[in-house]
Amino acid sequence: MHFFGRSAGAEGETFGEVVFNTSMVGYQEIVSDPSYAGQIVTLTYPQVGNYGINEKDMQADRLHLAGLVVHDMCYEPSNWQSVESLPNFLASRGVVAIEDVDTRALTIAIREGGAMRAAISTTDLDPESLVARVRASAPIADHNYVADVSCDEPYVVPGQDADGQPRLSVVAYDCGEKRGIARRLSAAGCEVTVVPWDTPVEEALAKDPDGVFFSNGPGDPSSVPSVAEAVRACLGRVPVFGICLGNQVISMAAGATIEKLPYGHHGGNEPVMNLLTGKVEITAQNHNYGPVFSTFGPLVPELSGGVSEHPADEDLRFWSSRRIAPVVQNERYGRIRLTHVNLNDGTPEGIQFLDVPAFSMQYHPEAKPGPNDSTYAFSAFAKLMRGEDDYLAIDVREGRRF
Amino acid sequence: MPKRTDIKKILIIGSGPIVIGQACEFDYSGTQACKALRSEGYEVVLVNSNPATIMTDPETADRTYVEPITAASVAKVIEKERPDALLPNMGGQTGLNCAVALAKAGVLEKYGVEVIGCDIDSIETGEDRELFANAMRDIGLEVARSGIAHTVEECEKIADELGYPVVIRPAFTLGGAGGGMAYTHDDLLRIAEQGIALSPESEVLVEQSVEGWKEIEMEVMRDSAGNGVVICSIENLDPMGVHTGDSITVAPCQTLNDFELQRLRDYSIAILERVGVACGGSNVQFAVNPDDGRVIVIEMNPRVSRSSALASKATGFPIAKMAALLSVGYTLDEIENDITRETPACFEPSIDYCVVKVPRFAFEKFKGTDETLTTRMKAVGEVMSIGATFEEAMQKAMRSLEQGHAGLGADGADDFDEEAFEEHVATPTPGRILYVAEALRRGWGVERVFELTKIDRWFLSRIADVVTAEKAIAELGLAGLTADRMMAAKQLGFSDAQIGHLTGQREDTVRAVREVLGVRPCVKTVDTCAGEFAARTSYHYFTYEAGGVTEFHEAEKPRVVILSAGPNRIGQGIEFDYCCVHAAYALAAKGYETVMVNCNPETVSTDYDTSDRLYFEPLTFEDVMNVIEVERPAGVIVTLGGQTPINLAKRLKAAGVPIMGTQPEAIDLAEDRDRFASLLDRLEIAYPPSSTAETVDEAKSVARRVGYPLLVRPSYVLGGRGMGIVYDDGDLVSYMEEATKVSPDHPVYLDAFLEDAIELDVDALCDEQECYVGAVLEHIEECGVHSGDSACCFPPFSLSDRIVAKVRDTTRRLALSCHIRGLLNVQFAVRDEQVFVIELNPRASRTVPFSSKATGVPLAKCAARIMSGEKISDLGLPEEGRDLGYYAVKEAVMPWSRFPGADVVLGPEMKSTGEVMGIDKTFPKAYAKTREAIDYQVPQSGTVFVSVCDRDKRSVAPVALSLVNLGYDLVATRGTAKTLRAAGIPCEVVKPISEGSPNIIDMMAEGKIAFLINTPKGHSSRGDGFRMRSEAVSRGIDMATTMSGAVALVQAIAALRQGPLDVYALQDL
Repeated sequence: MHFFGRSAGAEGETFGEVVFNTSMVGYQEIVSDPSYAGQIVTLTYPQVGNYGINEKDMQADRLHLAGLVVHDMCYEPSNWQSVESLPNFLASRGVVAIEDVDTRALTIAIREGGAMRAAISTTDLDPESLVARVRASAPIADHNYVADVSCDEPYVVPGQDADGQPRLSVVAYDCGEKRGIARRLSAAGCEVTVVPWDTPVEEALAKDPDGVFFSNGPGDPSSVPSVAEAVRACLGRVPVFGICLGNQVISMAAGATIEKLPYGHHGGNEPVMNLLTGKVEITAQNHNYGPVFSTFGPLVPELSGGVSEHPADEDLRFWSSRRIAPVVQNERYGRIRLTHVNLNDGTPEGIQFLDVPAFSMQYHPEAKPGPNDSTYAFSAFAKLMRGEDDYLAIDVREGRRF
Repeated sequence: MPKRTDIKKILIIGSGPIVIGQACEFDYSGTQACKALRSEGYEVVLVNSNPATIMTDPETADRTYVEPITAASVAKVIEKERPDALLPNMGGQTGLNCAVALAKAGVLEKYGVEVIGCDIDSIETGEDRELFANAMRDIGLEVARSGIAHTVEECEKIADELGYPVVIRPAFTLGGAGGGMAYTHDDLLRIAEQGIALSPESEVLVEQSVEGWKEIEMEVMRDSAGNGVVICSIENLDPMGVHTGDSITVAPCQTLNDFELQRLRDYSIAILERVGVACGGSNVQFAVNPDDGRVIVIEMNPRVSRSSALASKATGFPIAKMAALLSVGYTLDEIENDITRETPACFEPSIDYCVVKVPRFAFEKFKGTDETLTTRMKAVGEVMSIGATFEEAMQKAMRSLEQGHAGLGADGADDFDEEAFEEHVATPTPGRILYVAEALRRGWGVERVFELTKIDRWFLSRIADVVTAEKAIAELGLAGLTADRMMAAKQLGFSDAQIGHLTGQREDTVRAVREVLGVRPCVKTVDTCAGEFAARTSYHYFTYEAGGVTEFHEAEKPRVVILSAGPNRIGQGIEFDYCCVHAAYALAAKGYETVMVNCNPETVSTDYDTSDRLYFEPLTFEDVMNVIEVERPAGVIVTLGGQTPINLAKRLKAAGVPIMGTQPEAIDLAEDRDRFASLLDRLEIAYPPSSTAETVDEAKSVARRVGYPLLVRPSYVLGGRGMGIVYDDGDLVSYMEEATKVSPDHPVYLDAFLEDAIELDVDALCDEQECYVGAVLEHIEECGVHSGDSACCFPPFSLSDRIVAKVRDTTRRLALSCHIRGLLNVQFAVRDEQVFVIELNPRASRTVPFSSKATGVPLAKCAARIMSGEKISDLGLPEEGRDLGYYAVKEAVMPWSRFPGADVVLGPEMKSTGEVMGIDKTFPKAYAKTREAIDYQVPQSGTVFVSVCDRDKRSVAPVALSLVNLGYDLVATRGTAKTLRAAGIPCEVVKPISEGSPNIIDMMAEGKIAFLINTPKGHSSRGDGFRMRSEAVSRGIDMATTMSGAVALVQAIAALRQGPLDVYALQDL
């Protein structure tokens, strides 16, 4: 299928995997999220750019997304913090964007057909030719986008005071880390040393960190096996926390299978239940891949409400509706607990290792954009590094503290 | 947590009559709550005095009490029904206040009734400004600096500390009634006095002004497990200073970034928790400083509200239904999202369109009142529209208003006051948005308009885009509008009528050209999730998309399109929506796929599960045709939605649309005075001599022929808009000069006015073979008071069987002669045993819901069945004149207190906003219930002031005598006193106001007056009577302004003396 529209960013041509994001605000954070490398993002909210671009909400210095599709672009933004309009910003950063597209029709096509290869072009206006070139383009999984977006040199984000507790030092593997994550870690009392994705794990551990963090990032996690190796080296030696791609590489380290969701989760309204508290948090998400829970290992019935078989359809709402956080026996790392479930489709959103200090989340507790409900994850990591046992059963209200 | 099993029976309190600030959104929410709780197996007991509601249909609840919402009356219901729980937050402020009163009176404790959904303390924290301010400070949020005052002196002191301007807000009043912004000390004195008088606790908040800040609302839900979600953010286009009910509002919020919006989300949920909303929905309002983002909490309402109804319609997330389910113990994650049916309700809707709400006002009905919009709500209704962009939605909303505009101007309907143009741009009024658009059209630029209005530059820039496009369209001409350019124009929301005006072409021509170009709108779906999941419901809107994809889907069943009534306004309100909802129910039961079209977010008809398909669209020819072209219905129903669809009928039929039921020809016959008069002549039916006139001279010659007084009105209007009684040539000339503005294409009607006649309303069904007279209603007030403002009684209480039989017979003959298929309403006047026909409306009338409830015959459902081909003989209707053993009285509710400066007098132009119903064994008892239901306080002792016009002098004595016998003291004006003394009735004389103190104003101020009987003569004058009536309104003193009303009032007082009134469930009648 094809749409004609107007250019709303840089001139040129771009190829990528087209996905949609349902957040109604937060386009600045979305376009600057490195996880969108290789992807053309369709925003479902039709009027985009209303409040312009400001200096403080960038999630990375450079823009990595492949392109942007909107219904109506705003050239005269209004907000006291705005310094530039979104279309100017995109043009100056070389991002190809298109407006006057029926984004709802495109969204439904993606919902029904799955995330697919696409292109935006200001040069090739022949739909047939462009579609043919899209068909010939490489799928997203063929390329290691992490290498494109990770930092070149390590840098340090200083920690802030957190209730008089001593500072914690964290090494963060930057696979495309959003700036919001380092800020949240910092706010939780961590001094964060952000290192490139391919930093040898010995080098990281040589810094004697209190914990190691594995960040979000673009593309297929199988394109970065070395990061999964790094996870393996850390697990059991130092507390580990991962977000998004970080969750996927931690899962891979434990031998779990990673699947590609039909059209992924991209938005700021996904309900996730923390099975440890029974509370639902409204989360920000941005992923196409995720682990399959049953592949972590067989259930431990005595820790899983007496249930001995994984639900056949893999719909983990089986657990959330029973308020049970099931535990499996993993070959490599012992007991692993399912802690978070997506209530929209029953996919796993978080796991916790019971026999080594580690946990991870598939969604984005730092939000940016999205609700602040899950900010507690960063305090949870701090608690884990301080050796607290019951570190993850934190009420969502903690995250919304202001 | 699964639902509670320890409660079985739940009492829901409705919101009573439609008043400004509390309209049919609470019928929508209450109906949802009833349905939700019953489907969970609970027994629902309902109290609501408003008969025009779906919630008071006997099928909606298990036990329905159409009784006053007062603590005493609800206590009786509780005593009789013994509910386990009370759900108080569905009935607006009225429901909450009643719950608080019941709790304070110990009723809830006595009968062991648990309050669910919220608790009394949280209501108080939410509503009491001082408690709320303290609570906000507790959680570190800023509120406007303020102080609580109980006297005017205290107000002055606080204002001096804060500095002017200050906002004055009375505690515990509806829609901020009695509040306002004081810029000067004089303003303060005036508003403070009024506010203190109106607050039931005599308490006002004097607050620092944040005028000009952005006003943002968050609609939040919380469950008992502590899960919180924001359903919708709403940004007011009009900045702080205008009540949100009077503001143009936009969803979702447009000009805040993610950080700013998430911060408000955090605050909102924290506020619910701090106030103590255990579960349910609340509305939180914030002011955001546009220059630095500073946030101030304005208020929160711990209940479903007008905004939550809007948010429900804007997102597809049914807040009231969810709130009801949460109140019985469910958590959000346990409830399914109705629309996707695979995801839970515990999420935050994402919308992929823009929603604009525009309020509708009725200032033209209240001459003399100031049109400036303030913190005190004055709108009588609202429209909502959905478009892909703000521009499109804004223009659609403007044409949805049905106020002669086809969009944001550029339609030939503009009429600007050039002398005070800048003032009109700067001052918030109902028409301000048009001045803003015009200023931008005139090249003032966004900055200058921003400085004057503080409307966010984003909105102004969008409006500037629209008006800039007008110029391009006009320059190109229709021929120059290529498919691309036509599409671009439609994407900016321009209607065919606007494009026609701009290009000098007819609307039909534009439509035809557009069809040829292939520029058509697409059907899109409101699905709560921006397309992420498949929607199982058919809640749609139209939008223009270049290369767009329609989401229309075929249905197996034949489709019927029902055109509803558009925005609530005085004269056309919830009653018509009620009829449309009933038609949807009846036709769905018959196997049709029902398709509703409406643009009023407050209604039950725009609930996505009322009909099979809902199109949230303006009720203009263009927009309705869009629906008809995609749906290709078997029939379209135009006679249940009031005058709005009737006005479209002819054009629709001409366009080949199949009209169901009464045909446009019959509508024309009834509405064309001359043709109707000749029909009456042919049938030998009497009617008041009448004629029509197009010029002043013609009118004068009619007056000479027919004689004064004359009832004059423009043709094709509803609610007596522009109607007046004229007594001489002078009146007539000034009326004619104004009338030309009302309806330029139509002449003025002049009818002989039957003074002192009894007026009757008849609702009947006809299938072209048979006519069934559903109800004959006798008005309390005499002819000359608009039927919508008059109280009425079923069955007639003062007419002989012979007269009633004649009325029935006349109705039958008329209905058959006019070829009515469906409902009709005939108004009669009876004088000296003679029956006159005043008018025939070939459509559902305002009294259909009341008639249906009073008689137990669902007239609107029957009408829909007849329209779809059934015969009256198939419907199994009960005998017409059967004795029911009770009386049902309907009384109108007047909005006087909202319009200071307008005269408080009933006349031929309708001014009431709503109605209540009272049912009891006798007429006086039923009437007494209506007084209680409107919350008129009638003290059982004290002094009654009597002043009647000469015409009523003869009939005043028996009334006065009854009052004396009931133990009241009388005071009267000189003339009336003379009459009373002549009849041997003791009374005191008061001076006319103009002669100084002590006069009646002073006596009212001293609290000596229990109520007033004051019948003004002929047409209103700006004299003593006017001042006195205004004073009474501002002090909440009851009054009768007609003799018949006074008689009924005295009868009601006498009935109350016999002891407290019983309550009756509709199901037992």
